[in-house]
Amino acid sequence: MTKRVSRRDFLKLTAGATVVTGLAPSVRRMVLEPYVQPPEEVLPGEATWYASTCRLCPAGCGIIVRVINGRAKKIEGNPHHPLNQGKLCARGQAGLQILYNPDRLKNAVLQSGGRGSLKFEPLYWSEALDILVDKLETLSNPNRVAFLGGLMPSHLYKLTTRFLSSFGSSSPIIYDLHSALEGRNSTVQLSESLFGSPELPIYDLANAEVIFSFGANFLETWMSPVSQSHAFGTMRQGQLGGRGFLVHFEPRLSATAASADEWIPIKPGAEGYVALAIGRIILEERLGQASSHRPYSILYQNVDVQEMADASQIPVEVLHRFARIFADADQAIAIPGGGLAGQHNGGTSMLAVQALNLLSAQIGRVGGVFLSQPGPTAGFRQNPNPGSFENLSILIERMKSGEIDLLLIYGTNPVFELPTSAGFAEAIASVPYVISFSQFVDETAARADLILPDHTYLESWGYEVPAPGAAKPAVSSQQPVVRPLYDTRSTGDVLLAVAERLGGQVANALPWSDEVDFLQELATELHGSSLGAYDAKTPSSFWALWRQYGGWWTEKEIPREPDISTIVQEPIPVSEPVFDGEENSYPYHLHPYPSITLSDGRGANLPWLQGAPDPMTTVCWGTWVELNPETASSLGVSEDDVVRVISPHGELEAPVVIYPGIRPDVVAIPVGQGHEQFGRFAEQRGSNPIALVASITDPETGSLAWGATRVRIEPTGRKKSLARLESLAGEGRESIG
Amino acid sequence: MSESEVLAYPEDSSAAEFEDRLLLAERTSSEINQAVLQPMFRTSWKFWALVIFLSLLVLWGLFAWGYLIYWGMGTAGINRPVYWGFFIATFVFWVGISHAGTMISAVLRLLKADWRRPITRGAEAMTAFALMMAGLFPFIHLGRVWKFYWMLPYPNNRLMWPNFQSPLMWDMVAIFTYFIGSTLYLYLALIPDLAMARDHTGKWRQKLYRVLSLGWRGTEAEWHKLHRALSIFSVAIIPIFLSVHSIVSWDFAVTIQPRWHSTIFAPYFVVGAIYSGLAALACILVIVRKGMQLQEFLRSEHFDALGKLVLVAGMAWVYFWFAGFIVEWYGNEPVTRELIHEEVAGSLAPLFYLQMSANLIPIVMLIFKKVRTTPWLLLVATLLVNVGMFTERVLIVVGNLQRNFMPFNWGEYSPTWVEVSIVVMTFAGFALLYTIFSRIFPYVPVWEIKEGRLRYTVRRIGRLLVPTAAEIE
Amino acid sequence: MAEIEPRWVLIVDLDRCTGCQACVVACQAENNVPTVGEHETIEGRWLHWIHIERYWEGEYPNIKARFMPVMCQQCTAAPCEPVCPVFATYHTPEGLNAQIYNRCIGTRFCGSACPYKTRTYNWLRPEFPEPLHEQLNPDVTVRSRGLIEKCTFCVQRIRRIEIEAHAQGREPVDGEIQPACVQTCPPDALVFGDLNDPSSRVSQLATSHRSFKLLGELGTDPGVIYLKGGETNV
Repeated sequence: MTKRVSRRDFLKLTAGATVVTGLAPSVRRMVLEPYVQPPEEVLPGEATWYASTCRLCPAGCGIIVRVINGRAKKIEGNPHHPLNQGKLCARGQAGLQILYNPDRLKNAVLQSGGRGSLKFEPLYWSEALDILVDKLETLSNPNRVAFLGGLMPSHLYKLTTRFLSSFGSSSPIIYDLHSALEGRNSTVQLSESLFGSPELPIYDLANAEVIFSFGANFLETWMSPVSQSHAFGTMRQGQLGGRGFLVHFEPRLSATAASADEWIPIKPGAEGYVALAIGRIILEERLGQASSHRPYSILYQNVDVQEMADASQIPVEVLHRFARIFADADQAIAIPGGGLAGQHNGGTSMLAVQALNLLSAQIGRVGGVFLSQPGPTAGFRQNPNPGSFENLSILIERMKSGEIDLLLIYGTNPVFELPTSAGFAEAIASVPYVISFSQFVDETAARADLILPDHTYLESWGYEVPAPGAAKPAVSSQQPVVRPLYDTRSTGDVLLAVAERLGGQVANALPWSDEVDFLQELATELHGSSLGAYDAKTPSSFWALWRQYGGWWTEKEIPREPDISTIVQEPIPVSEPVFDGEENSYPYHLHPYPSITLSDGRGANLPWLQGAPDPMTTVCWGTWVELNPETASSLGVSEDDVVRVISPHGELEAPVVIYPGIRPDVVAIPVGQGHEQFGRFAEQRGSNPIALVASITDPETGSLAWGATRVRIEPTGRKKSLARLESLAGEGRESIG
Repeated sequence: MSESEVLAYPEDSSAAEFEDRLLLAERTSSEINQAVLQPMFRTSWKFWALVIFLSLLVLWGLFAWGYLIYWGMGTAGINRPVYWGFFIATFVFWVGISHAGTMISAVLRLLKADWRRPITRGAEAMTAFALMMAGLFPFIHLGRVWKFYWMLPYPNNRLMWPNFQSPLMWDMVAIFTYFIGSTLYLYLALIPDLAMARDHTGKWRQKLYRVLSLGWRGTEAEWHKLHRALSIFSVAIIPIFLSVHSIVSWDFAVTIQPRWHSTIFAPYFVVGAIYSGLAALACILVIVRKGMQLQEFLRSEHFDALGKLVLVAGMAWVYFWFAGFIVEWYGNEPVTRELIHEEVAGSLAPLFYLQMSANLIPIVMLIFKKVRTTPWLLLVATLLVNVGMFTERVLIVVGNLQRNFMPFNWGEYSPTWVEVSIVVMTFAGFALLYTIFSRIFPYVPVWEIKEGRLRYTVRRIGRLLVPTAAEIE
Repeated sequence: MAEIEPRWVLIVDLDRCTGCQACVVACQAENNVPTVGEHETIEGRWLHWIHIERYWEGEYPNIKARFMPVMCQQCTAAPCEPVCPVFATYHTPEGLNAQIYNRCIGTRFCGSACPYKTRTYNWLRPEFPEPLHEQLNPDVTVRSRGLIEKCTFCVQRIRRIEIEAHAQGREPVDGEIQPACVQTCPPDALVFGDLNDPSSRVSQLATSHRSFKLLGELGTDPGVIYLKGGETNV
C-alpha cells in the first residue's frame, strides 16, 4: 500500500525534528529556562507534534502527541507507524490523563506511618537514593533482592537485567494480569514448542477469508488490538469483492464475538475439543487441500469426533459444517486466544487450535500465520516476555519464607492483579523492605516503604519492539513530549545513579551517564541499515530522525515464515479441563474478562476510561455480573439486583446485567474495578473478580488458569442502579419509527 | 337606556326569589359598598398565619431556585431525553389557568351573560397572577438564566437578533402581550371601584386608591369611555387568549416528536386551558367566599352557571382528547404505539388513569345541579379537574419525552426536591398574591353589580310582576 | 475559496465497526467533553458526543449483537435549528449543524426536538480537577453548566486544515481533514469527506447499496451516512 505523505504529516515530522535543539534536551538535563525564552519550536498557540510510543498496554503502538505551549493536548496514532498506522484505541487516547492525573505522586516519598498507613513523607531524591543504595549494600546476599516487573519499557528491562546480573541477583520476574488474561506466556511457549521461537505469532487477519477465533478477543484487548482491528476492517470491507468470515468461540458473547458472523457459546475448556474435531473431520473427509494433510494425520490419531462433539456439546453436523468452511477457504486462520490459556487444559487447547493452521497449510502464507521479522532490530529484542504464574508463585514462596529482604516493584500491581488465594498480600508483609517505582499509590505501592515514582510515559525516554509485531520489522521509540510535571525521576536514571554509587562491577556494567546515553548508543546501531524507511548521514542526525519518526522500521514488508520443520509428530493429547469448586455447591463457571477500557484495572484511574462504556452492556463506572436470562430467572433476580458471587476463595457483590449472550452455566464479570487504592477515580468502585479465582495453573504452561473457578450466586435482595448508557426500557432495540 | 325587553317569567315562581337572585333585595348602594369593603379590613390572625405560611413556602422556593441556578439544571430530575419536566408542565398548567379570567370577563361580557358580574374581578385577578407564575418558568428552566435577555430583540453592536422562527419567541411575545392585556383589563374595570373605595376609606388606603383611581368621578363621559375601552379590550383580547395556549401547544407540536407533532394540539390545549381555568376559578371562588364571607354576592346561581361552563368545557376537552387519541391509536406508528402503550399499560399508567378519572369524574358530577350549587361538592369536583389537568400536562411533557425514535435513548423521569419546591413556590406565590389582592382591592366589582341592578327591574303589569332587562352597554 | 461549498459528511461503515470505544474517548479528548461521573450517568445525564449503541437480535443461543455509533447527524433539514430562540444552533454553508456554546441559553428545546437525541447538555458544572484542566484543547471552547453541546464534526480540525491549505494556495485533499473519531478509528469504520466532490471517498461510499440514513423516513437528510453491516459492497 503506498501512502501519500500529506502536508500535515510533514509538518508533524518537522516539528518533531526540532526536538534536537528544543524541549527534549531540557528534559534530559533539567535546565530551567524562563518561558520568555521558549524553545525554538514553541510558538504561542501553535501546536508541535512529538512522536513517541503508547505504553498503556504491551502492544507498542506509535503515537504522536500534540503539544501547545509546553502542554500535551491530544494523543493520536502515528500515521507512519507500521503497527497501528495512525490508529489508536480508547486506552491509548486516554493516556493524557495519566500525565495530568490529579492523584500522581509528585516526588519521592517514604511511607513514614508504616505500610498501608498512607502517611507519606516527601524525600529529596539524594536521600531516596541513599536509602536504596544502603538497602542494596547491606544485603547479606545479592539473591535476597527481587525485582518484580510488569509493563516495562524495553530499555529499562535491559538496564535492570544488566544491573541485577552485575549485582549477582536473578533477572526481573515479569508478571501482570493483562498479559495473563491474554495468555501471552502460554502463546510464547506454544510458539517456542511449535516454531522453535519464543515469540508471539502474527495472524494475517486482513487477508484471511475465514477466521476461527477461539477465545481471542483480538478486537478488544488481546495482543495488539489496534493493528488487529485495522486488519479486521480490511478483512470485512477492504478485500476486493470479498468479505471475510469470522467465527468466534467463547462462553460469552464478547465485543469480538459481536463483530463475528457466528458466535458459538462454547463450554469453558472445550475449545480444544472443537479444534480437534474440526481437524479430524478435515482429515477424515479429505476436505480442502488434502495434499497438505499427510504430515499431520498423526496429530489427530487419538481424536474421536463423536466424543469431541459430546464433550463440547456441539453437534457433529455443526462441526462438519465448520470443518468444511475452514477447509474450503483459500485463506483460513484459527487463533488460539487468551480465553483458552486461562483454562487448566489451556496449553493443549491452544496447541489443538494452532494445529488447524498447520493442517490447512496456513503457516507462512498470505492470510495465515507469521512471526515478526527482527531484521536489523534483533539487538533490541530483549522484550520482557511475561513469566508464568508458576515462576511468580516461587517468588511468593520465597518472600513468605523470608528469603527476600528487598523487593523492587515496577509497572505491576500484584496485590490487585493476583488472586487472593495466591497470598501475595501476606507474602509482601514478610519482606523487610519494599520499594515501588509507581507513579500512583496503588494497592502494592501502599504496601511499600519507599516509593520512587517514575515519570509517566509522556515524560520519559525509551523504546519498544512491538510484539506481536507488524509486517515490517519495527522499533517504536519513546521520548518526552513535555517537561516532567513533577519531581519524579526516570527509573532507568535511578538505576544508573545507584550503579554509580555502588561502584565496582555494577558501575562498570552500567557505564552510561543517563538512560538517554544508553538509548542513543543503542538506537544508532540501526544507523546505516539500508532497509530503513529513512536514513541519516550521521549518527546524531539518525538519533534525531529516530525520535522524529517515533522509531525505526523498514521501508518494505519483510515477512518471516515460522519454521515448522522441527514439529514433533505426535498425537495431540485430549486433556480434560479441571475446575476448582464442586459442581454441586458451585454450579456456575466464573468467566472474568478484561475490560476493553480499563484492561486489567490499570486504566481505572483515568476518568475518560471510567466514563467510556463497556461496548456490550454500555455500563461504565462500575462492576456488574452478567447472567443469562434463564439463569437470572432461575435465581429470581432481574436487572440491577445485587447478587453475591461466591467462589471457594472469596466473594463479591455486584448488580446483575441480564445478558442474552452468555451460556446459562457461565457468569461473566469484567476485570478492572475494585481498587482499594489507585486515586480518586478508581477507589471504592466495583469489585475485582480476580480475587475470587483459584490459584490453579495449567500444568503444561504454568500459566494461571483464571477461567477454571466455579462459583455460586446468591441474591441479596438489594438493588443498585448501574451507570448504563442504554435505556433498559428500550430492550436493546434498534431505531424505530 | 335604549330598548327594553320583557322576559317571560314562570308564573309559579315567586317574585321574592327572583329579586333575591338579581340582588334586588332591600340593599342600598352604600350597603353594598360596605358589604364589599368590610371583608377587606377584617384581617384575623388566621389571615396573617396564612400569609406567613405562604411567604415561607415562597422563600423556600426561591432558595431552591437559587440552588438550581448555582449548581445547574442537574439538580432537577430532568435528563436526556426528558429535557423538560415539571417546570414546563407547570408552566403549561399556569398558562391554562390564566385562560379563565378572559373567558369569564371578555367572552361573557360580549355574550352579555349577566351572572358573570360578581365574579369577573376574581377571574381577572386569577389570570394576572397565574400568568405571573407561568412567566417565571421560562426563566426557571433556562440553563443560563443570566443570559435571558438574549431572547429580547434589543439592538446590539454584534447585530444579533433572536430567532423569530422559534416557538419560544412566539411564546414570549404572546405571553407578554396577554399579560399586559389582561392586567390592563383588570385595572380598567377596577377604576370605578377604586374610586368608590377612595371615598370610603382613610389613611394609606385612601392615598393608594386616590393614585390608582386616576381621579375617577363617575361622570357620564367617564363611564362612556370605560365602557368603550372595556368593549374594545373584550374583543381584542379574545384572539390573544386563543393564541397564547395555541402557541404554548406549538412549543410541542412543531417538533417531530411523536404525539407532540399533532395538528389538534392547539385547540386541544385551548379547550384544556379553559377547562382547567374555569375549574380553578370555581375552586377559588368557593374558598374566597368562605374566607371573606361573600355569600351575599357569590350565590349558588353563580356557581351553578360556572359549573355548567366547566361541564361544557370538560365535555369539549374530552372530545378533543378523544379526537387526538383515537387517530394516533389507529395510526399505530411505532413510536406512538410505544408512547400509548407506556401511557395506557406501562409505567405511566397510574398517572394516565389518575388523569382520566380526575378529568372525567367531575364531568359526571357536574351534570347534577346539586353538585354545582353545593360549594364543597363543587370544590371537590373542580379540584379534581385541576389535579387531572396538571397530570395531563405532566403526561404530555414528560411522558412523551421518555420514549422516542431511539430505544437506546429512552429514559425515565422523576422530579427532585428542587423541582417540587419551585412548583410549590408558584402555587404558594399565586395564593399569596391572590390573598393580598383580596385585602387591598375590592374583590367583588361593585359597579358591575350596581349596573346589573340598573339593568333589571321588576315591573307590575296588571296583577303580574314582570322582570325587565335594559340594554345598557 | 472554492466555487462550491463543501458538504461535509461522515460515513459509518457498520460492517467494520467493532464497538471499541476509541472514537468515544478520542472525541472526549479533542472536544473538552467533561466527564460526568457515575451518578449523573445513572440519572441519564451522561455526556458523550458520540456513543455506540448496541442492539440485540434474537435469543440465546442464536443471538446477535450489532454496534452503531451515533453522533449528531448534522441534518440538512435539522429539527433542532428552527426551535432555538437565540440562533445558538444554525446551519453553516458547509452543511454543518453548528452549535454556538457562547450563545446558548439552555432552553433544551433543540434537545427535545432532535429525533436522534444526540444533543447533550451540561447539567452540572463541568469539573476538571487540577491538573486535568491542562488536557483541555485550546481550540475548543470549554462549556459551562446550562448549555447544550454536541458533535461538530470537529469543526476546529476542519478549519485548521482549511487555513493551512489555503495558506499554501490549495484546497484540502480528500482524507486530509479527519475529525478525532475518524482519525483514531482502528478498523477504519469512519470516513470523513466532502460529498460535493464526486471523486472523494465518501462520495463513492455513499453510492453503495449498503448505505442508509438513520431515521431516513423523517426527512431530516442527515450528513451522517451509514453502511449496513453483514454484506459486501459488490
